[in-house]
Amino acid sequence: MADRYSFSLTTFSPSGKLVQIEHALNAVAQGVTSVGIKATNGIVIATEKKTPSFLVDDETQEKVTLISPNIGMVYSGMGPDARVLVDKARKSAQEYKQVYHEEPPTAILVKEIASVMQEFTQSGGVRPFGVSLLIAGFDETGPTLYQVDPSGAFWAWKASAIGKNMVNAKTFLEKRYNETMEIEDAVHTAILTLKEGFEGQMTESTIEIGVAQIVEVTSQEGVKSKVGRFKKLNAPEIKDYLANIA
Amino acid sequence: MEALFGITGKGFVLTASDTTMARSIVIMKHGEDKSRVLNKNTLMMYTGEAGDTVQFAEYVQRNVQLYGIRNGVPLSAHATASYTRRELAKALRTRNPYHVNLLIAGTDPKTETPELYWLDHMASMVKMPFAAQGYASYFCMSTMDRYWKPDMTLEEAKALMQKCIDELKIRFIASLPQFTIKIVDKDGIRDVQL
Amino acid sequence: MAMKGKNCVAIAADRRFGVQLMTLSTDFQKIFEINPRTYIGLPGLATDVQTLSELFRFKTNLYKLREERDISPKTFSHMVSSTLYEKRFGNYFCEPVIAGIEKDGSPYICSMDLLGCINHAKDFVVSGTASSQMYGTAEGLWEPELEPEELFETIAQAMMSAVDRDASSGWGVIVHVITQDGVMTKTLKARMD
Repeated sequence: MADRYSFSLTTFSPSGKLVQIEHALNAVAQGVTSVGIKATNGIVIATEKKTPSFLVDDETQEKVTLISPNIGMVYSGMGPDARVLVDKARKSAQEYKQVYHEEPPTAILVKEIASVMQEFTQSGGVRPFGVSLLIAGFDETGPTLYQVDPSGAFWAWKASAIGKNMVNAKTFLEKRYNETMEIEDAVHTAILTLKEGFEGQMTESTIEIGVAQIVEVTSQEGVKSKVGRFKKLNAPEIKDYLANIA
Repeated sequence: MEALFGITGKGFVLTASDTTMARSIVIMKHGEDKSRVLNKNTLMMYTGEAGDTVQFAEYVQRNVQLYGIRNGVPLSAHATASYTRRELAKALRTRNPYHVNLLIAGTDPKTETPELYWLDHMASMVKMPFAAQGYASYFCMSTMDRYWKPDMTLEEAKALMQKCIDELKIRFIASLPQFTIKIVDKDGIRDVQL
Repeated sequence: MAMKGKNCVAIAADRRFGVQLMTLSTDFQKIFEINPRTYIGLPGLATDVQTLSELFRFKTNLYKLREERDISPKTFSHMVSSTLYEKRFGNYFCEPVIAGIEKDGSPYICSMDLLGCINHAKDFVVSGTASSQMYGTAEGLWEPELEPEELFETIAQAMMSAVDRDASSGWGVIVHVITQDGVMTKTLKARMD
């Protein structure tokens, strides 16, 4: 009986639209703004960290998350939905690593997450995810920035913004973006983009920044090599950037 | 104690299978045809555990025929053999594997290329110019090694087949008095006399 | 058997197929091309050799479509290892050997046991019924930094001598030498008795 009534809630309207997905996009459009910028030598993703009350301990909030050593992501929209996707993405990355002893390429992980999101638009008893994602990765092919929407559609961007202020942010990015930008510049531009329409004071505890770039690592045998890594900037680092801007 | 033979020649495969059904030391039946026609140009011969053999051969037969009906093109001998191998291999690692040894003979009706595949119950598949299955292989592979040559005529192949059967009559402890001899060529599958 | 050379690798196998002591075929394929820079040798139970070669063809074709690139020898080895270990209880009776050239041009070889435990070596790896003979011949003939032609000669001699001392292998040898520019394949006649 249970499966007989668990048909998909996402059904076509007569005009050929899937309104459930449009509603999901509206949920994203109400979410906090996130931006992502591709630089020549890496990717920057950043978002605003909003708390309903100053009594909330914002140290514990984490919106920019690590998926695998070389891939990170940020969301706009519903936090709890994003957490489910982070879990699935991390698990998928580990499954890939278990088979190939190699980190998944960014494109593969993005496709994996996108197919999960697509499944939730067509399965019974579920609703689409109320989030859009910006995924930053650095693999063999270099740095890449992807956006994934609730429909499961995904694109690679040079720079993009999602969430409440995405229209203004994108216009801003279109003006500021240039192909020769390096990571330092990109971080600045990301902060400036967030500043557009930022409510309240921008401090190191009200924004989060993550960077995918090349770093030198030393293996157990002491061999040095250069690999792509994703890392979150810590509070002092963000503070320095903010100080430079002001 | 069962015996199967296959010999490829110019545009045909000549096959022979003994006709004795035995259980333990008792012959239960003479004149059993241990083969199934899979499609117009493909023949499967089998030995092995009673029950498994016919069940498996007919299962493959029906699936090969279904393929022909669905696609309007008959399955080639190579594809048939690969499919059969896969079915055997799948069954091998279950609780009830098929105890079947096979020879699959086919002739492509367009190119007239004869093909002969040898499969054992462990699902190893090899393409061979001539083959024997069962104890007969211990006696007759060397005979065929010595006398087989490429592009044999039907008469030459028949003579070689007779040599193999005679060898069994002389040296093999079990008596296999009668064989079903068939030819698989571009025109189909027919019974022939040696 | 697989051997490393200077910017090249070689992989070789005999060509016999038989049931116990009866040889049925002398052109049996045990080495399979995964891509122009990666080859796998699968010595062991014939049915598993064929099942595994089909399985790896399936998996690497899918990998290529999904990732839009050829699988590297190292990554492929881990794929093989995982595949074998997946059947930890009820295993395939096959101990693979893998040889290839990595993207950066470095030679790669490894062997595996039937459960998928990988063994890397700087010189050569062997597997199969004649493995003890091959250890001896390869140990004696191999030298570091061999050029492709020298590597061919070395592995061919090591193989031929080894299989002639093993009753259940031989009846011809096939050698592939893999370099940056391509693959050279030669089939050799051995003692056919």
